[in-house]
Amino acid sequence: MHSLIQLSIVVLLLPLLSFVILIFFNRRLPRRGDFIGVGILGSAFAISAYIFWSVIVQTYDPAFRIAWDFTWIDLGNVPGVGPLQIKMGVVIDNLTAIMLAMVTLISLLVHLYSTGYMAGDKNYGRYFAFLGIFTFSMLGIVLSDNLFSIYIFWELVGLSSYLLIGFFFEKQSAADAQKKAFLANRVGDIGMWLGILILYSQFHTFSFEQIYANLAAGQFGLSNGWLTAAGILLFMGCVGKSAQFPLHVWLPDAMEGPTPVSALIHAATMVAAGVYFVARIFVVLTPDALHVIAFTGALTAFMAATIAITQNDIKRVLAYSTVSQLGYMVLGLGVGAYSAALFHLVTHAFFKACLFLGSGAIIHAMHHEQDMRWMGGLRKHMPWTFATFTLATLALAGLPLTSGFMSKDAILAGAIGFAKVEGGGIFYLIPVLGFFSAMLTAFYMGRQIWLVFFGESRTHLKPADDHHAGHHAHASHDEHTDEHHSEHGVHEVSWNMRAPLVILATLSVFFVYSPDPLDGGKGWFMKMIQTPATVVGENNHQKGELLAAGVAAPTLPEAVPTVAAHGEAPAAAAGEHGGAEKGGHTYADPRQAEIIHAGHGAHYTAIYISSIMVLLGISLAFVVYVFRIIDPEQTAIAIQPLYLFSLNKWYWDEIYEATFIKGSMLIANILSWFDATIVDGIVNGAATLVRNFALLNDGFDRHVVDGMVNFTAFTVNTTGAVLRKLQTGKVQTYVVMLLLAVFGYFVFYLTRLIY
Amino acid sequence: MEQLTTIGLNHYLTISAFLLGFGLFAVMTRKNAIVVLMGVELILNAANINFLAFSKYNGGMEGVMFALFVIVIAAAEAAIALAIVINIYKIFKSVDVSSIDSLKE
Repeated sequence: MHSLIQLSIVVLLLPLLSFVILIFFNRRLPRRGDFIGVGILGSAFAISAYIFWSVIVQTYDPAFRIAWDFTWIDLGNVPGVGPLQIKMGVVIDNLTAIMLAMVTLISLLVHLYSTGYMAGDKNYGRYFAFLGIFTFSMLGIVLSDNLFSIYIFWELVGLSSYLLIGFFFEKQSAADAQKKAFLANRVGDIGMWLGILILYSQFHTFSFEQIYANLAAGQFGLSNGWLTAAGILLFMGCVGKSAQFPLHVWLPDAMEGPTPVSALIHAATMVAAGVYFVARIFVVLTPDALHVIAFTGALTAFMAATIAITQNDIKRVLAYSTVSQLGYMVLGLGVGAYSAALFHLVTHAFFKACLFLGSGAIIHAMHHEQDMRWMGGLRKHMPWTFATFTLATLALAGLPLTSGFMSKDAILAGAIGFAKVEGGGIFYLIPVLGFFSAMLTAFYMGRQIWLVFFGESRTHLKPADDHHAGHHAHASHDEHTDEHHSEHGVHEVSWNMRAPLVILATLSVFFVYSPDPLDGGKGWFMKMIQTPATVVGENNHQKGELLAAGVAAPTLPEAVPTVAAHGEAPAAAAGEHGGAEKGGHTYADPRQAEIIHAGHGAHYTAIYISSIMVLLGISLAFVVYVFRIIDPEQTAIAIQPLYLFSLNKWYWDEIYEATFIKGSMLIANILSWFDATIVDGIVNGAATLVRNFALLNDGFDRHVVDGMVNFTAFTVNTTGAVLRKLQTGKVQTYVVMLLLAVFGYFVFYLTRLIY
Repeated sequence: MEQLTTIGLNHYLTISAFLLGFGLFAVMTRKNAIVVLMGVELILNAANINFLAFSKYNGGMEGVMFALFVIVIAAAEAAIALAIVINIYKIFKSVDVSSIDSLKE
C-alpha cells in the first residue's frame, strides 16, 4: 500500500472518530467537545494538505493515479447474477487530492466558525458530531474507487444532510425542509442506482477502472441507447444531490439548517458531490447523455438566476445562486469543458462558502434577521465581513482578477466551442443562457450587497409582529445572542468567525490558481485536471468521424480568427483538430478534442461577452438600487406577472404540489379506497362468512345439543317434582303406599293366576 | 248350631283378618302416635293368630315358637316405639303423626 493511500484512509476515518466521540460523550466533555471536532478536522486538513503537496506540487503529473482496494464482501456465485464480489477501495489522483484538501479545509473552517455561530445552542455537541459524520461521508465519496462504495457514501451524505437541515427540528419548517431534501434526493438516487445496475449487468464489476477498461474494449453487450440511458440515470444522482432542474426545489428550503451548515453542505461540498460524481463517470457518458446534461445545466443556471433576483431572504438569494452556479458546472461537464467545470467547482466552493459564512455573520449580528429588506448600512459596523463578502461576491459575479472569473469563463468558452462543434442552432441556447445568467448573477449579487451593506439601516421599518414571531422561532439560540448584543446593536463578529471569512476570501483571488488573471488555463489547476478520453465505443467513433468530415470543417474557420487575433498560432489551431493535442494530452475521441479545441479558441470571445454581461448586470444593479433611476417597487408592479413568476420560484413548488403531491395523494386515496373496499371487503366477507357459520353452529348448539341436555334436565326435574309430591314425610302415607303396592301386586298376581 | 260348636281354621283366619283390618285402619287413619302403635300391635297379633292357627291344624310346634318370638319382638318394639314417641313429643311437643313430616327432608 502506498503511503499516500494510508494517509488518505487516516483522513477518511478521522472525522468518523470525531463523530463517534462527540455523539456519545459530548455532554461529559468540557465545552461540549467542540475542540475535539476542530482539532480532528485540523489534523485531517494537515494530512490532506500534505497529500495535496505531494500529489499536486511535488509530482505535478496530470496522469498521476494510485489506487488500492480490497474485497469487502464476497458473496460467491450468486444464482442469476454470477460471481458477486463487492470491493472497497481508495483512489488518489489529482482531482481526489484537490477535493480532499478543499473538503477538509472548508470543513475545518466551518467547524471553527461554528464555535462562534452555534455557541450556546442546547445541542451544541451534537451539532459538531453531525458535522463530523458529514465530513466523513463526503471524504468517502471523494476517495471511493468504485460505484458501490460511492453509492454508500452518497446515501450517508444524504443522511447527514438530512440531520443537519433539520437541526432545529422543533421548527416545523425545518422538519419539512429536511423531509423535502431527503425525498428529492431519494428520487435522484433511485435513478443513480439503476444506472449502476445497468453498468454492473454488463461488466460484473463496480470498479471505475474496470468498467472503463471493459467499455473501451467494446464489451458493452447492449445497444448504445442503453449506454446513454445508463449515463442519464447516473446523472440523475447528480440532479438530486446537486439540485439540478427538476429536483432543485429542496436546496432553497435546506436553508432552514444552521448557516455554517449551509456553507459546508449546501454550497461547498455536498452539492458539489453530484458534479464530482458526473466528472468521475464522465468517460462513460455518450454524446446524447452529455447533451441532456448540458441542457439541464443551462436551464438550471438560468432559472435559478431569475429566481434569485426577487428573493428577500439573504440565504435564499445565496441558495438560488448556488443552484445557478451548480447549473454552470453541470453545463460545463455537459459541453465537455471537464476541467473548467471542476475548476468552477473548487473556486465556487471557496467563494460560496465565504458568502454563506459572511451571511451567517450578518444574521448572527442582526439577531437572526434574515430578510434583506430590513438590513442596510452594515458596512460601517462590520468592515471585515463587508470586505470578504464583497470580494466573494465579485468572484461569484465573475469580475476579472477573481477566481470565479477564470472558471466561469472557461465554462462559457467551452459552451461556445461546444455550440460551434455541434453545429449551432439550438445548441447556441446553452452559451446564451449561460451568458444571460452571468448578467443576472451580477445583478442580484449587486442588489444583495447594496441592500445589506449600504444605505441606512432599515431595521426599524420592519413590522413589529413579524419580528416577534421570528424571535420565537429562533428561541434556541436567541437566549445567548440577546445577552451579547442587546445593548450595543450590530457589531463585528469575533475572531473565530472572522478568520474563516478571510481565508476563504483569499482563496477567491486569481493568483491562487493561475498567474494570468485572464486565463485559468495557464494555472496549475487546468493542467492537473484534464479532460479524460471518453470510452463510449463505436457510435462515438462514428460521430467523431462525422464531425471531423462534415461539421467541424465549416465551423472551425470561424474560430480561427478569434484565436489568431490573440496571438496564438493559427496553424496549431487549424491543424490539429482531428486527434488534437493540448497540454501534452492526446485524445482518442475526435469530438472531444474538437470541443476542447474550439473552447480554447473561444476563450477570449467568452471573456469579452461575459465581462460585458457582468458589467451590464452590475450597472443595472447600480441604476436600480444605488442611483434609484429605476424604482424597484414600481418596476415590480409594472412587470407584475414576471415579478410574481420569479418571486414564487417559477411556481415549481406549486406545480409539484399540484402534480406529484396531489397525484401521490390521489393514488394513495385510490389505494386507500381499494384497501378499504376490496381488500377489507374480502377480509370482511370472509369474516361475515365465518360469522354466519358460527351463528349457524350457535343455533345448532343452542337448540339441538343444549336442547337434549335441557330436555334430560327437564325430564328429571318433572319426575322429581311428581315424586316429590309422594314424599310427604308422613309415615301414614308411606303405609298407604305400601298397602297400595301390596294390593297392586295381588291384583297383578291374581290376574296372572286367572289368565 | 253345629256350625257354632265346631270352630275350625276358617274362624281363626277370619278373626285374624279382622284384626289385621282393624290394625291397618288404625295405623293409616289415627293421628295419635300411641293409637298407631296400638294398631301395629293389632297387626302383629293378627299374625300371631295366624301362626297359632296354622300350627294347631298342621301339627307342628314351629308356629308356636314363631308366635312366642313375635311376642318378644313386639314387646321390644313397643318399648323402643314408645321411647321414640316420647322423644318425638319432646321435640315437636305433639304426638300427632299427621303433622310431623320431617322425614321428607
